[in-house]
Amino acid sequence: MNARAVTSDVLLGIVPIALLIAFWQAIASFGYAPATLLPPPGMVFTRLIQQLVSGTFQQDIAATLFRLFAGFSIAVVLGVTIGLFAAANPAINAVVRPIVRVLAPLPKVALYPALLLLLGFGHGSKITLVVADALFPILLSTYYGASMVEQKLIWSAMAAGTPRRQILFKVVLPAAVPSILTGCRIGLVISCIVVFLAEMITSTDGLGHVLVTAARTFQAVDMFVPLITISLLGLALNGLLQGVRSYLLRGFPEV
Amino acid sequence: MISGHALLTRSAPLLACLGLLGIWQVAALIINTDSFPTALEAIRAIPSILGDKESLINIFASLRRMAIGFGVAVIVSIPLGLMMGRSRAVASFFNPLLMVTYPVPKAALMPIIMLWLGVGDIAKMLVIFLGVSLPVIYHSFQGAKAVEEKMLWSGAAMGLSAAQRMARIVLPAALPEILTGCRTGLVLALITMVTSEMIARQSGAGNILFNALDMGQYDTVYAMIIIIGAMGIGLDAGFERMRSKLVKWSEPGFDIPLSFA
Repeated sequence: MNARAVTSDVLLGIVPIALLIAFWQAIASFGYAPATLLPPPGMVFTRLIQQLVSGTFQQDIAATLFRLFAGFSIAVVLGVTIGLFAAANPAINAVVRPIVRVLAPLPKVALYPALLLLLGFGHGSKITLVVADALFPILLSTYYGASMVEQKLIWSAMAAGTPRRQILFKVVLPAAVPSILTGCRIGLVISCIVVFLAEMITSTDGLGHVLVTAARTFQAVDMFVPLITISLLGLALNGLLQGVRSYLLRGFPEV
Repeated sequence: MISGHALLTRSAPLLACLGLLGIWQVAALIINTDSFPTALEAIRAIPSILGDKESLINIFASLRRMAIGFGVAVIVSIPLGLMMGRSRAVASFFNPLLMVTYPVPKAALMPIIMLWLGVGDIAKMLVIFLGVSLPVIYHSFQGAKAVEEKMLWSGAAMGLSAAQRMARIVLPAALPEILTGCRTGLVLALITMVTSEMIARQSGAGNILFNALDMGQYDTVYAMIIIIGAMGIGLDAGFERMRSKLVKWSEPGFDIPLSFA
């Protein structure tokens, strides 16, 4: 793909977003929707910038990010470990597989009331919910990635004298990294969504709480601000993960 | 005659359910607080919910909203995803928009949509529609992109028009991937349904759950969790059966899709 094609792709991609904002502006400025229901985009973006420099809003972002990162990291550690061992050991696999089958399609948000009752209204219940939701894509992609490692690679490593115990970490884990990272990307998006929802349901801080407070007082402008912020956060984190990916996979052929 | 091993693999999910309930039972007996009833107590509360006419109506209303939102999303998203997969211009037109909207929790749009459409069915169905369409579009896109060019060329050489090629070559070839997207979408529909109902507390399964939480009826809370969980597992298993019948010819891919949220 040459540079010119990329630029034209980017330009083409901006069109629908620009159209959407233009349409939004048009509806607002021709008076089809009163500003209390649909504030014009200019008003929302000024408010966004105003909020971004305010201390309380930054604290809300920090609270959300803390929960997101805590939940996501625990999910990555747990997911990769369980997935790897399930792929390597048939006995562990026989136990993990049916449990995952049952728990993966379970709507985890429904567990939130139980988590609230058990862990209280603080960070604990929200982080646990993020872990519960982000865990499965990471676990499954690790498992699939690790179980599809070419047998030849393992044989060559054994022939070269790698001890059995080290094969898991020296051969299987690196070979599964592309798949693991795909799972992490899905898990990250899910974490963004879940942390926001959990904060909407019960919270005293965080972006979700900002939205709920605005909704209670019918401040339409303030309702858009946290939504745009979480979208931007998601994009930024996705970009960060893309960077990590291209760093980790620098030796891999075509990714 | 089913061999012992096959019987074991078939009943494994059931055993896992029983095991999880057992762990719950033991944990509840150890912790022993009011807010964490044992599994047996929660299961005992299920008949009183399912026997109550009002809650049954509520749960069916939820399922109806979910079915409509899911159905419309699938009908709109599959053609869009297929077109994105076959045309680079369409793909680069929609991709950034989808990337921007992906990390936004769809249920969080509920308060804004409620301002415009009220708290009724339409707002909730719209939110479910939005939540389901993204994974279906994404998987249809991936599926259509992976269709072998040669098949399309042969189709074109035999005189199929672009629309015919889409319906008779791209759609069947991408079907396994599309159905994976639908399966993810189905679970997402259920999740969005529950969350939308607990934000707009008016009716539905999510409303029963959170009202019980507010009123401190802990056994109802846990019984509702079991009911909603069973709906998720049941819908997923049902869909999986249908999927494996429809695309028997495709090699068995991963048996659990990655992107549940």
